[in-house]
Amino acid sequence: MKFLREFLSYTSSLPRLAIWAVGTFLFLGIFAPWLTPHDPNAQNLLQAHLGPSFAHWLGTDHVGRDTLSRLILSARTSVVGMTLVLVLALSVGVTIGTVAGYRRGWVEEGLMRIVDVGLAMPSLIVALAVIGIFGTGYWNMILALALAWWPGSARISRAVAVNVMNRPHIESLRVLGASPARIYFHHLLPATLGAVLVYATADAGAVALAIATLSFLGLGIQPPTPEWGQMLVDALPYLESSPRQVILPGLALTLAVIGFNLLGESIALNRVPTPLSRKILRQRRITAAAWKKA
Amino acid sequence: MSSTKSVLRVENLVTRFKSVERGKWVKAVDGVSIELRPGEIVGLVGESGCGKSTLGRSIVGLERPQSGRILLDDIDLSGLGGRKLRETRRAIQYVFQDPYASLNDRQTIGEAITEALVIIGIHDRTRQRRRVHELLDQVGLPDTVAERYPRELSGGQRQRVAIARSLAVEPRVLICDEPVSALDLSIRSQVMNLFLTLQKDLGVACLFIAHDLALVRQAASRVYVMYLGKIVEQGTSLDVYERPTHPYTRALLASIPSADPRIEATREVPALLGDIPSPTNPPSGCRFRTRCPSAVEACAVAEPPTVWVGPGHGAACIFAAQIRATEVVPQPEPQRLPQQLSA
Amino acid sequence: MASKEILRVSDLCVDLFTQRSVIRPVDGVSYSVAAGETLAIVGESGSGKTVLNFAPLGLMPTGVNVDLSGSILFNDTELVGIAEPALRKLRGGSIGTIFQDPMSALNPARTIGRQIAEVSELHMGLSSSQAESRALDLLKLVRMSDPDARLKQYPHELSGGLRQRVMIAIAVAAEPQLLIADEPTTALDVTVQAQIIALLKDLQKRLNMAIVLITHDMGVVAGIASRVAVMYAGRVAEYGPVGDVLVEPRHPYTMGLIDAIPRADDAPGSLFRGLPGAPPILGAPIPGCAFAPRCHAAIESCHITRPALVSTVQPLVSAACPIINKHNHGGAYVQH
Ligand SMILES: Nc1ncnc2c1ncn2[C@@H]1O[C@H](COP(=O)(O)OP(=O)(O)O)[C@@H](O)[C@H]1O
Ligand SMILES: Nc1ncnc2c1ncn2[C@@H]1O[C@H](COP(=O)(O)OP(=O)(O)O)[C@@H](O)[C@H]1O
Ligand code: SF4
Ligand SMILES: [Mg+2]
Ligand SMILES: [Mg+2]
Repeated sequence: MKFLREFLSYTSSLPRLAIWAVGTFLFLGIFAPWLTPHDPNAQNLLQAHLGPSFAHWLGTDHVGRDTLSRLILSARTSVVGMTLVLVLALSVGVTIGTVAGYRRGWVEEGLMRIVDVGLAMPSLIVALAVIGIFGTGYWNMILALALAWWPGSARISRAVAVNVMNRPHIESLRVLGASPARIYFHHLLPATLGAVLVYATADAGAVALAIATLSFLGLGIQPPTPEWGQMLVDALPYLESSPRQVILPGLALTLAVIGFNLLGESIALNRVPTPLSRKILRQRRITAAAWKKA
Repeated sequence: MSSTKSVLRVENLVTRFKSVERGKWVKAVDGVSIELRPGEIVGLVGESGCGKSTLGRSIVGLERPQSGRILLDDIDLSGLGGRKLRETRRAIQYVFQDPYASLNDRQTIGEAITEALVIIGIHDRTRQRRRVHELLDQVGLPDTVAERYPRELSGGQRQRVAIARSLAVEPRVLICDEPVSALDLSIRSQVMNLFLTLQKDLGVACLFIAHDLALVRQAASRVYVMYLGKIVEQGTSLDVYERPTHPYTRALLASIPSADPRIEATREVPALLGDIPSPTNPPSGCRFRTRCPSAVEACAVAEPPTVWVGPGHGAACIFAAQIRATEVVPQPEPQRLPQQLSA
Repeated sequence: MASKEILRVSDLCVDLFTQRSVIRPVDGVSYSVAAGETLAIVGESGSGKTVLNFAPLGLMPTGVNVDLSGSILFNDTELVGIAEPALRKLRGGSIGTIFQDPMSALNPARTIGRQIAEVSELHMGLSSSQAESRALDLLKLVRMSDPDARLKQYPHELSGGLRQRVMIAIAVAAEPQLLIADEPTTALDVTVQAQIIALLKDLQKRLNMAIVLITHDMGVVAGIASRVAVMYAGRVAEYGPVGDVLVEPRHPYTMGLIDAIPRADDAPGSLFRGLPGAPPILGAPIPGCAFAPRCHAAIESCHITRPALVSTVQPLVSAACPIINKHNHGGAYVQH
């Protein structure tokens, strides 16, 4: 209860749009199978290229599949893919980053050299190279993106870990003679993880975009699994006749990416105080007015 | 007094950092030797940036000294490593200036102290609880504090908690780095008295780092005065404060403002001009010569050795004996200004 | 005391409205400062010294709303309720300000010469070359060594003492009539503190400025101020000439504070004198005397009615304590 209240009061300070976009995205992603009005893969050529109707709220595509259902299930594809990529990338990145931040010295130098090489190459190029070598496929795409993303989280983790290690509360544990394992697992790792997850929020949008990009290029999610990038490819030939089929997945993707970016940014900047709302100000004035009388 | 064996001895310690100037080093601590006897409070004073914290941190292993020896009960710590070093070194504890930062803000006070107990192998719950209670009591805090988080406590209370936790591992030496500088005037005395009581009751020796000279005078029985990485004067508080022998100590003491406006009205020029020079390029010879009112050419030539002017009372100045004998600081001849020497 | 009164604060209350709460960190404070005079405001951290001086100037962080009541007359201009543009003209113009932490007040990406010149351009309407040469003069005025080279340096290249000199140069650039210095020496060593105090005194003499100096160090008060207001929990506990208040304090809080300062005749190893307890955390105004829970002399009424600031046996000194005038002399704070 207390936790929930804290969480709600916290989210209320974040931008509305971001909360709605990300909230909807995650909700759809998690509950997609129960939300789709039609079977997203059921083709019916007789009903191809329909406009919005009561049966198909957002119309149908070139093989008569329900667009709304496909958009909803795409969110799930994205959420699952994104989560897998981030979990993999963060596990590797945070481990390497915290070890470097804990050990300092040559261990740090060596690890960070590797990270620097990884960072020097653009993520998408790395992903393309990996897929080029291992071939296309769902797991290859996840692996490729995780490989592209871990150096970033490693660098951030190291920065955070170095900072945490220099904080007096860790130093005082060292002085108390705490074992390295205790310092690492009880204090350094949880503190670093918390901070790194904040950065991961901003990254989530970029990963979703990368999945869509790869799928658009035919290197990521393979048909018939619905995916926004793929829906775009499918609809492109009919751009003139039914632009809606291109615009809708594009819009969904854009909202999700912008949502994550705004959210990540505002969490990072959450320390910056915002001006008081009128409502709060009025409440405060009432409290103070009571003092004057007393 | 000198017959008592020392609990902590530091010999010729050097700790350096990479300087912001490429390829250069900052010798923050440059050949310092100090000594603490059991149950003694010893002051370490000097301007900020002179290396006091670095010395303290090197002793507890938070910085890695480049050379020198640290002996705890005649055991050379540099000969130990790993777990053995951690367990031995635990007898020296550190009290940080900022009591808030030295506690994990996600742990309650009880959890923080219990963690220290776990570290020394006390796993029994009831024993832990009893000990937490004892420790809080020892630093004058009520039992209820154990359930609180650091952010719910005042600065003075947090510092008491930090002290209680250091005491959990039964240290023989406390290194207190400006422990009351961040505290309010009316709270300071309370925490200072806690140190005095602990020293009396538990016999913990205490290296008390501070820039507040008046505080150190009352708390410490002996004092080291540090300037730019070196000890320039040492002796009993009475000797150092009543008969300061190094020109730097004199200037430092003369700079202490008095709360009495009648005394302040007679103050003319500041006793010490300019800032402490950069430790990356310390002046040759005596490091104080660029600000010293008594400096002569000879001061730039060689580093003055410590001159013993009384039992345990030493000053690293070529004029130490004269100053001590005459109580008058020799004045330089006008044409030999120290600034011209430093070129 | 024939010199012109620059600032008169009467019965000032400041309410702060934040996301979480309402607090009144300044509760009915009055004082005045004349040209060429220094008033020290002493008090522990959180006693409202900074809010008292900077909230009326519009210098509070975002996220905090300020309500002022009472009156602040600066040269016959009322500052309570003044419009922001008029206030902006005063800040940095005829009211100079110095902060405790010079690093956060200086722009790290600009040379100090540029930063000093900017103030002269803004408030004195100088051209940029005139302002440059004025910046050099100002650095000489604050007795910077090697002023020509310093002009081209960045804040991080200077020591704490030198940065504070730069802050002072900026504060006095437009030759203010009033200088408000918030703990200008707290972060500095005693040696450098002595230099800065001497500099402030010297500048005051030259520019005939009124100075309000915020500090918690009685030594600084004794060294520079002619009058002092001792604050406790947002209220003035004692107010009067430094020579009286520091030598013969009358309010139990002032007595306790001064008594707590270690003296040269205290034996090494002896216990420190001080006050019991801790200052209150501010929120709603405290009904009685805020110091009552820590006061050795408190009587019942202290906890119930707020004592007014009334003059004592020494006519120039006033103190907010009902039992002050019952003593024929307040110097005896015997505890041992
Ligand atoms: N981690 C560090 N890296 C580089 N220089 C340092 C570091 N810590 C301290 N120094 C330098 O060492 C000198 C001594 O610092 P310090 O021991 O903190 O002095 P004090 O405690 O007496 O104020 C200073 O010049 C400071 O800049
Ligand atoms: N930005 C702020 N937000 C909320 N409360 C504040 C803020 N600034 C000051 N306060 C409150 O005002 C009181 C007085 O603060 P301040 O004037 O800074 O004290 P001082 O300068 O005497 O240390 C404090 O108790 C603090 O709680
Ligand atoms: S050796 Fe010379 S410069 Fe150094 S303190 Fe003595 S007189 Fe001054
Ligand atoms: Mg220090
Ligand atoms: Mg303040």
